[in-house]
Amino acid sequence: MKAACALLLLLFGCRPAPGTAPEPLRVAAAADLSLAFEEIGALYRAETGQSLSLSFGSTGLLAKQISEGGPFDVFAAANVSFVDQVIGAGRCDASTKTMYAVGRVALWSRDPALLPARIEDLKEPRFRRVALANPEHAPYGKAAEEALRAAGIYEELKPRLVYAENVRQAWQFAESGNVEVAFVALSLVRSNAVGEAVAPTGASTPQAAGQGSGGASLVIPTELHRRIDQAMAVCGSDPGRQAAGKRFVELVSSDRGRAIMRRYGFLLPGESLAEIR
Amino acid sequence: MDYLPLLLSFRIAIVATLLAAVLGTLLGALLRSPRLFGRDLLDALITAPIVLPPTVLGYYVLVALGRSSRIGQAYEALTGSSIVFTTTGATIAAFIGALPMVVKSARAAFEGVDRVYVEAARTLGASPLRAFVTVELPLAARGIIAGTMLGFARSLGDFGVTLMVAGDIPGETQTAALAIYDAIQAGRERDALGMILILSAVAIGLLYAVTKLTRSSGER
Repeated sequence: MKAACALLLLLFGCRPAPGTAPEPLRVAAAADLSLAFEEIGALYRAETGQSLSLSFGSTGLLAKQISEGGPFDVFAAANVSFVDQVIGAGRCDASTKTMYAVGRVALWSRDPALLPARIEDLKEPRFRRVALANPEHAPYGKAAEEALRAAGIYEELKPRLVYAENVRQAWQFAESGNVEVAFVALSLVRSNAVGEAVAPTGASTPQAAGQGSGGASLVIPTELHRRIDQAMAVCGSDPGRQAAGKRFVELVSSDRGRAIMRRYGFLLPGESLAEIR
Repeated sequence: MDYLPLLLSFRIAIVATLLAAVLGTLLGALLRSPRLFGRDLLDALITAPIVLPPTVLGYYVLVALGRSSRIGQAYEALTGSSIVFTTTGATIAAFIGALPMVVKSARAAFEGVDRVYVEAARTLGASPLRAFVTVELPLAARGIIAGTMLGFARSLGDFGVTLMVAGDIPGETQTAALAIYDAIQAGRERDALGMILILSAVAIGLLYAVTKLTRSSGER
């Protein structure tokens, strides 16, 4: 009997009772946000004094988890269609749907000498393996596939493509040197080049990243793929948690949030591509 | 290094292993009985998680305990939270890995007990239950403990089923195995290294102890 009590205590005892210590705000975010949202998350903690946990994964996987009851308070997707999907499933609140960024794709290599000058050059045999996030459920992978098709090299390159679960894993494949280059989110590259000016959107010239082994990236012209409209929404049904979720969404859309997002290479809603150029 | 995922891993593995030890010992004793109908089929069913892909196990758990399942809905009506994507879900994932380890070892240990002792106890007037608890169980204890240690090592290391059933939520379902995956994906290998070393040391230590324990039981 004692053992059973100890067991129950282990299983349930460490959870705060409702109404006492608040559980952290749970944010499910697309993998391309993993650097920018760490920073915005820190800002949220500092401002509200409340804790926050971030779960990163491919947008499609997170949307599936939320549809199946994943207890997330905020869902930040890499593509708006997935936000519509969880709203359609009745898990997230349509009135809180907010466009917060426009994503950009980059081709990244650990070794700057390996980086192609143009996307078409990927067909050269020296690129034995090219990583991208799985286009089936990762918006950045889908955009990368579209860019390859637009450049007319998709069929030729197909046998050499390596699919990662999400865009961060694609980056990791290249960072560990297991593929020559990877299609990543520009926002994942920026951390390696802190303070460096963001290249013009249409630019197709390789740029060396800032820090030591930061590698180098080639920004893919946005004309080559459909726009990556990133949207977020507040999920769940608890009013208190919804209020906290709204606060986080507002923080991302605030001037300070937008400044962080811009620093990681995102375009912001309301900024047209033409304006940047 | 962030020790939270490691603590969570140990907490989940301890609960899962305790449950697996109790149920696994009973199942091991049941499977030893030659009169049990369909004994080998039941054994195969219980052992299957050792060889099945985590995705298959994860699928079964989602179907059986997910939010649209009857059990999942009943649990949610009672507690207000789902089984999947919670610490409870992660514990179930760990339990599934641990159970066959205990059952296999317990069955072998019970089968190694000389029936003469059990029959002697019965002749002296002990009830079947008393003979089991006071004679058979102590004689099989080493094997059961070894199996429990293997089960603990296995549940500590679960990755696939946990990811599918419990997600990757820091502080709730992000066990050390998941945190390592996360850290490596994010290029934070230094964060992962501490957990990698600790998990490796625990696994090797447990396997070493299991070998020692089972060998001396054979020599006895």
